[in-house]
Amino acid sequence: MADSNPISNTTQSIAVSALRAQQSRMRIIAENLANANSTSKTPGGDPYRRQAPVFQAAKVAGGGQGVKMARVEPDKAPFNSTYDPGNPSADPTGYVKTPNVDPLIEAMDMRDAQRAYEANLNVIETARAMDQRTLDLLKQ
Amino acid sequence: MPAMDTGDIPIFAMLKSRLGYLAERQKVIAQNVANANTPGYAARDLKAFSFQAKVQAATEAAAPVSAASGMAVTQPGHMQAPGAARGLAAGVKTNKQADSEVTLDGNGVVLEDEMVKLTQARMDYEAAVGFYTKSMGLLKMAIRKPGSG
Repeated sequence: MADSNPISNTTQSIAVSALRAQQSRMRIIAENLANANSTSKTPGGDPYRRQAPVFQAAKVAGGGQGVKMARVEPDKAPFNSTYDPGNPSADPTGYVKTPNVDPLIEAMDMRDAQRAYEANLNVIETARAMDQRTLDLLKQ
Repeated sequence: MPAMDTGDIPIFAMLKSRLGYLAERQKVIAQNVANANTPGYAARDLKAFSFQAKVQAATEAAAPVSAASGMAVTQPGHMQAPGAARGLAAGVKTNKQADSEVTLDGNGVVLEDEMVKLTQARMDYEAAVGFYTKSMGLLKMAIRKPGSG
């Protein structure tokens, strides 16, 4: 992107950085939901561990504070376990460790990501409208 | 006579700084919205645009001789002229504000508030552009040949 960004373009690049971050967050949520029932390959081993995105403010072109997904961290919450002796992943006592993914939390997270995404789209739309309004001065 | 710029006319100078302020404010709001999920991020806003300060600055710039820009405060007992206290400091400085809706991770952005501010900034911008157009129309009317409608 060009160095000499007019202000509204900075506004848009800030919003776009957030769109990207929320998009990555959605990807993580999808991973979590998809693996909500992924147990270990070996008997008694650890199943899929829930991943959590960590956001961080980050400079964007033009000198604004955008956002980026700094890293993805494993959720430290303990695994659930169910009694299922027939399961290939069961330990000798018959218990299977299941992922620490709570579909309800993921669903809430998804709503939140969607809301943030829409808000950023709104920002872009408004920035564009304000630009347009300024350009309309030329039509006079 | 020196060349005249529309920026020399107080109303245009004021509208210009108003538009700049609103564009900057929009940028700050965009930052808040972008960081709506960043842990520890506090929502920011610009100080309110002081129209009075701008009027004062503009009139001073236009007529430096007649500008009694408030009285100097040299003694503790002196009263300060209204508007002088705020002065031009009402520029583009961000100030963090405390909010009751700070989440557990320390994020203080309320998306609804930001959306309201965004719409407000947009409407103010439209108003300023409208004023700009109208003032331009007045100028055009003044330079038009008499009797040509």
